[in-house]
Amino acid sequence: MSYIKKEKIEYPYLEKPLSVYTFENGHKAVFAYKKSPMINISSWVKTGSINENKDNNGVSHFVEHLLFKGTTKYPAGAFDRAMEEKGGIINAATWKDYTFFYINIPKEHYELALNMHADMMVDALFPIEEIGPEFDPEGKPPEVKRERYVVIEEIRMGEDNNWRKVYKNLNSAMYENHPYKREVIGTKKIIANITQEEITRYYKTFYIPKNITTIVAGDFDEEKMIELIEQNFKFKPSNLEKAKSDPQIKEIKIKNPKTVTDYSEINTAYIMLGALCDSAKNLKETIALDLISTILGDGKSSRLYSDLIENTKNPHYYQLESCHYQFKDGDNFMIEANFDAQKKDVVIKELKEHLLNLNKITEAELKKAKKRAKVTFAQDSEMVSDIADTIGYYATVCEDLSLADKYLKVLDEIDCRYLEEIAKKYLHPDFVSTSILLPEGEKNETV
Amino acid sequence: MKLYNRKGINILLEKAPKTPRISMSFFFKTSKKEKYYGINSLLARLFLQGTKNYNASELALMFENECIDITFKAKQDYFKISLIFLNEDFKRAMELTKELILNSTFDDFEKEIFKMKGEITADLDNPRFKLSDSFVKNIFKDHPYSSTHTKILEDLDKITKEDILKAKDDFFKAEKAIVLTGDFEDEEEKLLQYFEDNFDFMRSYDTFDEIEDIFKNEIEKDKIIKIVKNDVAQAQIIQGWLVDSFKSENSAKYSILNNILGSSGLSSRLFVNLRDKQGLAYTVRSQYETLLHSAIFNMYIGTAAKNIQKSLDGFKNELQKLADTPPDEKELKGAKENISGRLKYFTQNNAQITATEGYNFMMGLGLDYNERFIKEINAVDKKDVSEMAKNLLSMPKLVVILAPEEYLKNI
Repeated sequence: MSYIKKEKIEYPYLEKPLSVYTFENGHKAVFAYKKSPMINISSWVKTGSINENKDNNGVSHFVEHLLFKGTTKYPAGAFDRAMEEKGGIINAATWKDYTFFYINIPKEHYELALNMHADMMVDALFPIEEIGPEFDPEGKPPEVKRERYVVIEEIRMGEDNNWRKVYKNLNSAMYENHPYKREVIGTKKIIANITQEEITRYYKTFYIPKNITTIVAGDFDEEKMIELIEQNFKFKPSNLEKAKSDPQIKEIKIKNPKTVTDYSEINTAYIMLGALCDSAKNLKETIALDLISTILGDGKSSRLYSDLIENTKNPHYYQLESCHYQFKDGDNFMIEANFDAQKKDVVIKELKEHLLNLNKITEAELKKAKKRAKVTFAQDSEMVSDIADTIGYYATVCEDLSLADKYLKVLDEIDCRYLEEIAKKYLHPDFVSTSILLPEGEKNETV
Repeated sequence: MKLYNRKGINILLEKAPKTPRISMSFFFKTSKKEKYYGINSLLARLFLQGTKNYNASELALMFENECIDITFKAKQDYFKISLIFLNEDFKRAMELTKELILNSTFDDFEKEIFKMKGEITADLDNPRFKLSDSFVKNIFKDHPYSSTHTKILEDLDKITKEDILKAKDDFFKAEKAIVLTGDFEDEEEKLLQYFEDNFDFMRSYDTFDEIEDIFKNEIEKDKIIKIVKNDVAQAQIIQGWLVDSFKSENSAKYSILNNILGSSGLSSRLFVNLRDKQGLAYTVRSQYETLLHSAIFNMYIGTAAKNIQKSLDGFKNELQKLADTPPDEKELKGAKENISGRLKYFTQNNAQITATEGYNFMMGLGLDYNERFIKEINAVDKKDVSEMAKNLLSMPKLVVILAPEEYLKNI
């Protein structure tokens, strides 16, 4: 299939603009030129937990695992072996808004890599012998343990990670009904019971051309590459169904902030405070939140570190920072801390005070944060894999690649007053939910 | 990378045209044993806690206002100051770094020890970290490489300011190098002159390395350490040996064995046979970690507690298969290409190049080590791989298992 549209989009810190090709079926290809011995080939699919419901939560991530399990042309494992024996590094990831599959490989092997990558994207078979049998996760484990069990081990691994426990509780507390409320990895019960039929239905619904952007970053012949993409991305007719998902309820402010407390066999305490904000597509607000995050909690000169760790006479924090996650249906702004469990109440008070204090931002703070934002953009143009990831984010989460070029211009327009407005709009302590993980010993103290 | 020696200062430069950020490292070779575990780590942290002219907050602000990222790291074989900054900020970055190196006061002891204890305690709440800590501590016994979190925690309160100043002096009397990768075009001579004029304290000295080699297991028979943690969802298992490091002819052979066994990615034998075919784990791998005076070869898995024995049997079987039957030519060739590709992948940006080349130089491996290493890899034949697997099987192994108590009873 030939492409019907070719556009050039400027991209900061690259020698040439990006080339964006759109095919008749909606599939897009984006090429980024960067001199490098490695080439990065990836496909980003606009699906993740955003398109799941309470019954199939985790299916996006399970499908990601199963795409490596064979096609008509290649049996399970053939892709992994072929790429890795050519020096390739391959993997995939699933998040709330996207799933992506990538290959980093010495550039001389680009043709084989593109061929096998495309084959995996358009012709995944989901063989039952690779999925493994359904079973009761509370009962006796099955005799045959295949990929279904691998994912359950991955869930178990997450259960032993303290930060993940705190995040899971916060994430669930922040949303009322939105699919973001659920963990991307799903639950053991759902994964143990999900059928091959549901997996195939999900794949056919969401792995359709208009949902997929293929990105190639590196040093390659553009004409040859577009020809290869045309030849190899032969989507099956059955995959051309219209994508449909459950009706979404946009939640961009926490209506009923909650505090969730959990306990574990640990010796220090963990806390996360989280606020909901507007969509990542709202570039100016997203940049503003990046800047606020830098000012509040990124680095040793940030307000949180400086006030609560460096210049305090009564230290009780071991780790403390803020972060900003971008999502299609609304960003998350968070503060996270690891601290002395006995100081829980003081910690909550101090962190909320710092959110309130965002009503005043200085020119010096803004200047520092702007420079950090510019340098981060430069940093993300250093390796082919980082370039592809940034393009994938703009193409999939923001659904607008031109935002990458607008970023630096919009950044320049932002002033202190605007940051204060955004902080007031989303980050007031009354809008944040809180998740705390305490040592078991604190149970008696707090009951 | 080119090496220059200007008035006794080792300077390594690599041109990276059209890159917006410069990466630099100041390397200091570790040749003295720490008086107490953790001295070098504490030294690294105290460098950012105040100088004669600025307090810690002022220093943080000066670096972060210019987006000059600076880190201090105390590793087993070297101490390193690493910097990344925009090309135009070179002079400012150097002035600030010099201020830290020459004028740090190392006064803010109590606060830094409090933070360090808290961070270590939090790390040890992570089961995988706890496992690794126990493994390293027990395999290296009393060697300086056994400086793990738990050992540091025991020693932290004994450390005095004098110990810190002595450790700093020892690093300044040792071998050193300045390593830079970035876009300096035709400014090479100017750059060299700048370092000569401003960084004379980076002059290298020959020192006696008092850290002994430790390549052979001191354990006489297989040893299992069990760590009880009742609230974990997964058991954690690590099994390993002390083996030859990068200066031995066996190093390339162990690298290939490691690649085939469990480090090539999704197609390694442990991954395919223990994860894909038996569903035992999400993470299973082998690792060959080389240091100047030793190396560790190990296998790791995170698995359901009821699968502990099955996993240990799996480790043994995979190693035994390689000992009994050498890999075929295709698998061997694939491992060689995989190692070569990974080397390219991990030496892409300026920071990676600075880190790799600087490390090779400091360890005495030479500036052509990456090419030499690939040649050595290509010279390995399939029987060599079997021989290394046999070596491992013939040596007593250290196994550390973390799991709920009921699952450890019969192991």
